[in-house]
Amino acid sequence: MRSTVSRSLRLKLLSVVLLTTSAALVVALVAIVAYDLRTYQQTWISDVSTQAELMGRLSAPALAFDDPKTARENLALLRLRPHVQAAAIYTARGELFASYARPGASPDLPKLPEADGSRVEGSSLVLYRRIVGEREILGTVYLRTDWELLGRAGDYAGIAAAVMLVAMGVAFLMSARLQRVVTNPILDIAGIAREVVGQQDYSRRARKLSEDEVGALVDAFNGMLAEIERRTSELEVANAELGREVASHAQAQQEILRLNAELEGRVRERTAQLESANRELEAFSFSVSHDLRAPLRHIQGYAQMLQEDAGQLDPDTRRYLDLIRESARRMGMLIDDLLAFSRLGRQTLERTSIDMNALVERTLHDVGAGRPGDHRLRVARLPSAEGDLNLLRQVWVNLLSNAFKYSAQRGESAQVEVSGERDGAVIRYHVHDNGVGFDMRYAGKLFGVFQRLHSSDQFEGTGVGLAIVQRIVSRHGGRVWAEGEVDRGATFSFELPAEPAPVPENAT
Amino acid sequence: MVVLSRRRRYRAFVSRLLCVLAFAALIALCVPGQVLAQSPIQAPEQRVKAAFLFKFGSYVEWPTGAFASANAPLTIGVMDADELADELTAIVAGRVIDGRPVIVRKLHEGDPVAGLNILFVGKSVDGSLPKILSPMKGRATLAVTESDGALDAGSMINFVVVDGKVRFDVALAPAVAGSLKISSRLLAVARKVTGPS
Repeated sequence: MRSTVSRSLRLKLLSVVLLTTSAALVVALVAIVAYDLRTYQQTWISDVSTQAELMGRLSAPALAFDDPKTARENLALLRLRPHVQAAAIYTARGELFASYARPGASPDLPKLPEADGSRVEGSSLVLYRRIVGEREILGTVYLRTDWELLGRAGDYAGIAAAVMLVAMGVAFLMSARLQRVVTNPILDIAGIAREVVGQQDYSRRARKLSEDEVGALVDAFNGMLAEIERRTSELEVANAELGREVASHAQAQQEILRLNAELEGRVRERTAQLESANRELEAFSFSVSHDLRAPLRHIQGYAQMLQEDAGQLDPDTRRYLDLIRESARRMGMLIDDLLAFSRLGRQTLERTSIDMNALVERTLHDVGAGRPGDHRLRVARLPSAEGDLNLLRQVWVNLLSNAFKYSAQRGESAQVEVSGERDGAVIRYHVHDNGVGFDMRYAGKLFGVFQRLHSSDQFEGTGVGLAIVQRIVSRHGGRVWAEGEVDRGATFSFELPAEPAPVPENAT
Repeated sequence: MVVLSRRRRYRAFVSRLLCVLAFAALIALCVPGQVLAQSPIQAPEQRVKAAFLFKFGSYVEWPTGAFASANAPLTIGVMDADELADELTAIVAGRVIDGRPVIVRKLHEGDPVAGLNILFVGKSVDGSLPKILSPMKGRATLAVTESDGALDAGSMINFVVVDGKVRFDVALAPAVAGSLKISSRLLAVARKVTGPS
């Protein structure tokens, strides 16, 4: 590769030198040859012309005195000029007067002389020259000589070729040696550049062999190399750091994943534990509630029998029996509620399309509301929804009976409003009353089992109703919440999905 | 084969015929030229002599005193050769020699010859040539004759006819005596030149 490059550069330089040399030589040689040939032509023509003139002068008397012999003798003198092929003298009337032909040359002569002038005929120059005497034309000299322009041009071409050959050879030898001054520094740089690229070794530096532009190139090249070296090392340092960072990052990531997995495992474990505990608890509470009913019924039954049979009991005892019966009744309600609540966890949903207005009407009737003058009740147009009719009825029962219950003390001014709207993917219902309300601090506790904000002396209830509401709504995939203010009333709202998604049966 | 050979023979015949024709044409073209070159038809002797006589004027230098002025005429006297004189008169009409007009004078034996630049003496005065020429000795008059032995009688140029062509001999001694300079170019074409010994 090195040799290819160096050869190419050297070759280019060499060919530039040789081309320049040959161009200069060709121009010079062409100019010289052209000049010489032109000079030769002019000189030759004027030389031949002079000879013709001389011959004319010399032969004028011979013509004048009609002496062809003398004229022939004169012409014969031309043998001293071997390039004269043939010569002739014509009289003024155009008759051939005397002639001469070089031995071996063609003796052909023109029949009639022509006007003054010269022309080239093949390899001969033909020249006519009038002989002028005392204001009159005495005759014409005809000269035919060798015309060596072509031969001369050929000779010159040969000489030029030889000169070119020698000059090119000398130029070649000289430039082959001298070009090293130019090429060596460049080739040095090229070699270093190749090594740098090939080995990625940026610590190499080119030698500075001259103080010219190539020297400047070397400086610039070395400067660039230094810069690259510096940047490369910086980059390597940064890369290493980055690599370390990435490694530690990956490690951290792995740790996080591990912890997550661990956490998930623990969550699953805990959930399973909780679920099982929950199930056990439900089963327990169901069986407890169920098992509690039988003794309670006994208590109730026997208390009633005691009251009916023992008419002679004193009033105090009768009052105690009343209290026992009342407590037993309340306990029965409590157990019923608890059973209902615990059953909710197991029951399957039977979804149907429900006309909410109709449902609310029926519920109002069932809870005994709508007694004339009791409440000012307003039921707005409610959007219909899909769900389990019985369960949703319980929701309404609880919410409406609460509303009536807690606003009852307002008497005539009590107000209950039922409204609803569809909001995108959910259908929302509100039950608003202007009853005792509640403190928003306890809003979170409202929906817990047995959570009561008021004593049962103030308001009757088991404390299970809102827990049931929340359970039903969440089993439908919705949510329930309450807003209220003490003595200013409360608003209970619940949302159901417009297109209910299947909810896991065991959701609690 | 037969056809081929016949065709070949025909071709050979045609080419030979063409050669002959070309040769004939060449001869036809060349021969007249050669004939002309070798023996040009010479004009009548008297006219040639008259022309030569006129041309001598160009090759002879007269002494300064021979002419009255720079453009004084050159006078040629022709003695006892009227035919030649007529020819000469015709030739010189309108022509000049060295810027001088030329005058031809017909003379006869006994006429004065003073003032002549050239004197031609005809053949008819053969016998009395010495008598005519002797007084001319030392004068700047070119004496031209056409008689045998005339040079001995004091003539400077004497016409002779050789092979039917007019030539001339030159005697330098009388010319030198007459201070006449005869051009070497004229001498070059003379048949014979007698030196001034």
